[in-house]
Amino acid sequence: MTVPPRIRVWDLPTRIFHWALVALAVFSFTTGKIGGDWMAWHLRSGYAVLTLLLFRLLWGLVGSTTSRFAHFVRGPRAAIAHARNLLATGTAVAFGHNPLGGWMILLMLAAFLLQAVSGLFSDDEIATQGPLAAKVSNAMVSRMSALHSYNEWVLVGLAALHLAAIATYTFVLRAPLVGAMVHGTTVHGPSGAVRGFRESPTWLAALLLATCAGFVYWLVVVFARG
Amino acid sequence: MKKRIAIAVFATLAAAASAQQVKLEDQIKLRRAAYDMMGYGFGDLAAMAQDKKPFNKEEAEHDADLAVAASTVPKRFFPEGSDKDTKAKPEIWQNRADFDSKMDHMIAEVAKLPAVVRAGDMAAFKKQVGATGQACKACHDKYRAK
Repeated sequence: MTVPPRIRVWDLPTRIFHWALVALAVFSFTTGKIGGDWMAWHLRSGYAVLTLLLFRLLWGLVGSTTSRFAHFVRGPRAAIAHARNLLATGTAVAFGHNPLGGWMILLMLAAFLLQAVSGLFSDDEIATQGPLAAKVSNAMVSRMSALHSYNEWVLVGLAALHLAAIATYTFVLRAPLVGAMVHGTTVHGPSGAVRGFRESPTWLAALLLATCAGFVYWLVVVFARG
Repeated sequence: MKKRIAIAVFATLAAAASAQQVKLEDQIKLRRAAYDMMGYGFGDLAAMAQDKKPFNKEEAEHDADLAVAASTVPKRFFPEGSDKDTKAKPEIWQNRADFDSKMDHMIAEVAKLPAVVRAGDMAAFKKQVGATGQACKACHDKYRAK
């Protein structure tokens, strides 16, 4: 029996982005629920999340093949075809994000971005204000705070859906997605054909991440106090 | 005897005045004013605790005393039905005992602020500001609409 060759599917920056976002999302949720002194960490965590999201948007343009929006953002027809095929054959064939998963990625990125940005303008009317709350009207702060509260549950719902999908792919369709996101390789290619995977340099990711961090620092410290 | 009757009459009148004579509209106004005062005093203390502004003992004492005075007010002005056009949730009157106990907890935590401010122990001050914020949050999370 031959062991099928493992092929690269996720680059290192995308994997680090993913697991860092998982950790920060849990940390943000928890510190927000505890409140009190932990709110200072809730804000810092939000800045880190914003940095990661901005990085991911850029990486969606210049990252490795499977990380690019152009690779995984497909029309609704492709998504429906994937779902049909999935139901009919019970197998999930895709390299990188499948057409259905691609939409989920966009949805999650948008919802996380909304959460991070609304947080900048929020005020809990206790002792914590987002760094940009003082820059806008009270009516806007009130709307942003409400949005920040409601969208929290949208994120919880999306995370639950994400986990349910992974469980289905792992246990029903036998596609080991979690491992691929850890070590970045898969044997799960379309009928043995190794699709082209162009890897973008990791130094470029580091440079972009540093740039995003710099921008967020400027936004929440320099601009906010100016 | 006359004196005792006079006292009884006065007590009855006073009770009626404090409990009944304030219009619903004005009760909402009063509790909001108290929250604003508390928010001003406590918000200033929180800014000092979070190192957003330097600790100024004189100002902090004033903030803490103001917060204490305002903290006991809202609890008195949550009559049934006063949730209309406010962020107060109707659950307040379904769980009045729980609401009141959360209010009492907040009042107790705010009451500790003047002493820690006067003692000037920054670690204790920061800790008490955090604990007070959590007491506010307990009620907001459950009984205040977004």
